[in-house]
Amino acid sequence: MTVGEWVRNTSVYRSVIRHGIAPTNRNRSLIIFENLFLHVHPVKVREKTLRFTHTFWLGGITLATTIILVATGILLMFYYHPSVPQAYRDMKELQYVVDNGVFLRNLHRWAAHLMVFSAFLHMLRVFYHRAYRPPRQFNWVVGVVLLLLTLLLSYTGYLLPWDQLAFWGVSVGTNMAKQAPLVGERVRFFLLGGNIVSENALLRFYVLHCVVLPVALLLLISVHIWRVRKDGGVQGPPDDERRTP
Amino acid sequence: MTLRRLFAFSSLVFLIVLAFSPVKNALRPYRALQRQFRLLGISRATSAKAREMYSSRPIAIEQIWLPELNDHVDRCTTCHLGVADAAMTGAPQPFRTHPPTFHTPQDIQRFGCTACHGGEGLATDQADAHGTSPDATTPIFPTDFVEAGCGRCHDADAVRDAPTLSSGRALMAKSNCFACHKARGHEDFRADAPPLDTLPMKTGAEWLRRWLTDPKAVDANATMPNFQLTGDDIKALSHYLFGRTVPPQLQHAIDLAGAEPPGDSARGKTLFAESRCISCHTVDGKGNGSAPELGKIASRASRGWLVAFVRDPHAFYPQTRMPRYSFTDADVRDIVAWFEDELRDFDAPANILVPLRVNQTFAEKGEKLFKSAGCFACHGGMKEGERFGPDLYGIGEKKATSLDFGKRTDLKRTLPAWLEAKISTPRSFATGLKMPTFAFDAAQKRAIVTALLAIPSTPVPDAYHSAPPQQAAIVPAGAVGEIMSRYRCLSCHQIGSRGGDISTAPLTFEGSKVNRDWLVRYLAVPYSIRPIIAERMPVLKVSKEEAALLADAIAMIYVDPSTPDDPFAGRPASDRDTAEGERLYTTFGCRSCHIIGKNGGYYGPPLTETHARLKPGWVFRFLQNPQRWRADVRCPNYGMTDTDALRLTAYLETLAEAPAPPVPGAGKEAVK
Repeated sequence: MTVGEWVRNTSVYRSVIRHGIAPTNRNRSLIIFENLFLHVHPVKVREKTLRFTHTFWLGGITLATTIILVATGILLMFYYHPSVPQAYRDMKELQYVVDNGVFLRNLHRWAAHLMVFSAFLHMLRVFYHRAYRPPRQFNWVVGVVLLLLTLLLSYTGYLLPWDQLAFWGVSVGTNMAKQAPLVGERVRFFLLGGNIVSENALLRFYVLHCVVLPVALLLLISVHIWRVRKDGGVQGPPDDERRTP
Repeated sequence: MTLRRLFAFSSLVFLIVLAFSPVKNALRPYRALQRQFRLLGISRATSAKAREMYSSRPIAIEQIWLPELNDHVDRCTTCHLGVADAAMTGAPQPFRTHPPTFHTPQDIQRFGCTACHGGEGLATDQADAHGTSPDATTPIFPTDFVEAGCGRCHDADAVRDAPTLSSGRALMAKSNCFACHKARGHEDFRADAPPLDTLPMKTGAEWLRRWLTDPKAVDANATMPNFQLTGDDIKALSHYLFGRTVPPQLQHAIDLAGAEPPGDSARGKTLFAESRCISCHTVDGKGNGSAPELGKIASRASRGWLVAFVRDPHAFYPQTRMPRYSFTDADVRDIVAWFEDELRDFDAPANILVPLRVNQTFAEKGEKLFKSAGCFACHGGMKEGERFGPDLYGIGEKKATSLDFGKRTDLKRTLPAWLEAKISTPRSFATGLKMPTFAFDAAQKRAIVTALLAIPSTPVPDAYHSAPPQQAAIVPAGAVGEIMSRYRCLSCHQIGSRGGDISTAPLTFEGSKVNRDWLVRYLAVPYSIRPIIAERMPVLKVSKEEAALLADAIAMIYVDPSTPDDPFAGRPASDRDTAEGERLYTTFGCRSCHIIGKNGGYYGPPLTETHARLKPGWVFRFLQNPQRWRADVRCPNYGMTDTDALRLTAYLETLAEAPAPPVPGAGKEAVK
């Protein structure tokens, strides 16, 4: 009995990993079924869907940036206080004192830019490949909501450095919201927690950026990917495209 | 397969990119500097223990945290490792020891660095810490303006060990900056420029034209800046000013004075010299210069106006610093006769004092201009709410990127450069700007820029704020107050925190200093107490009664309670040893500054008449600490024991020889 076999026979191992190691169809299915994180994904995919030109990996890139953003965001939260005297100073502390602080902050920022960019491209790709058509019409709507959440995350994060760019960016943005008919004033008040961009706004944007929106985003991403599987996997270029000259 | 290779390759690229940040982190410049400092310290260490201290020094960010200064953090000492290390004297920067100042080295942990020097304390690299980029929020103060840092905490007009800042603040007040500009602490500022009601009877259109073209060219002592008025502007203003109504009683006084017969010019010259007018005025540049130049006075003002004015300056110009001398009518006539004979502009055209025939249309234009050009800010009528100049509050912390450089593309994009250009040539930034041009020299500009940079946008917390100690300035009401106001004692002397800066003798504790009887004699005929000082007390012709009243009041009010009446009370008889006192006089080298009899220097006052002039209790306290009442007294503090001070006092008290009677007008400042 090799060491590997001994380990695989221990009760601890068997309680965690319940399928065999032989590359059988059953074991492959079990890997997916028995894992919370993997089961949103289909057990089998067609080979052509893995081709780069099939989806340009845009959904995957968007998901990867999301993971980077969550990871770097959590690290940044260790160094950030959402209060007026502290917020901007924390940016400086990240720059001057925290090891790799600038890298951390830049990683978060560039990943955020990339996420918005790739989400847009993803949406275009889906649109041009007619993947919004039944049975994927519900997932298209989920995707649109995800795009909105991405933009809101981007916007709420914009205020957090509490520099001039942030202050005026949010001033302009919330003033635009004010122009909405009837509810404009209320929407602005609701967003800012007051009538001016102040510490209330900072706290509100912080909570939205770090709790409310990410939780909503992750939940909807789960739904989104699960629906992809339920709707028959990713749809690449429609078949008729190749037929038409 | 290609896909996997591509994946492997891109993973490798990503790994290298990711490794870049930690490597950059490990190579931050301060780490190399700290290693360099370690070696420098070891090479300079004089003991094994010190060597051990330097070699065991960790490579780490150093910081000074100031919880009471808005939670301020300074990390300058991360690179400037030797600021408080005496072994680093003369070491290369950034390791050099901080030069000794009032606050260093002992206060470095209390103030940090950026509180005084500016700069970004949080930063750990040079460019960001020093703020060399144009968008730096708080760039370091350039060496020329380093005293601006003192002014961030110290509110006093005169800050010790900060001569540039102090002179900048004094110059700003003197130049009437706060007449137009709002500034914290100067809300009640009132410019003391003369009222212009009597101008139609004082001067002529030609003189006014010259004055308005460039005041400094007419009178080097002029405080009025150059408004760069066009010919049309000057014409309009002249018509407006000559069209103003002279108050009837002044008109009457000027008319009467003008009709008087001419006086005795020779006697006037003597009177002018012995009254010591040049303690404030100048004649051809000679004199103190805090009042107008009189060299061409007779071509500046009419005879009637001059006579009436000198007789009662306060009726013409209530806020003037000029005393109302007790001249007789004939005295004033004589002085003005001398002015007319000698103090005139012999090159001036005959019409220089001819008034203007007023044209109402021009006068109305002039009235508007008087308002819009801001003349009223200094010449009466300015109220707090009307100050139209930009608020100076926070000007020292303006960001260079938020400044309007306008047409000045030649300037360095920094706040000091902008401020300096603003006070040199204010109108070069754009057309239509109002600020007049002051003729400041380079040192004055530097001083004013320093004072401006010292104005923060948020005041420092109380724990760091240093307001000037407010000393009570009691000026009695009633008869004594009237005499003090008439002779404008406070134009030259100081009482508490009030008063002028011409005299070196504050009156705050004068009653404890001088004997009453001596003071009565002195007020009647003042003489020079410190011959080296050019500004002497003017002979105001104070009457016997007034002098007695003043001396009594001074003896009663201006008393320092800590000065004993009799310093010898309760002391052993040996403390009155005058022979020992005389020996001490020689030992301490008093004679290098003071005269006794015929020997000694003339920097300090002669001591021959000590017994008559000074009270022994004051002499005793002064000898113990000469800087007790005035920080700028030059007499060294020898740290005398009470016994020595008393013996020296006893010796000085024996000097009772009557002073040589002063010869009126024989001072070296006598004119012509």
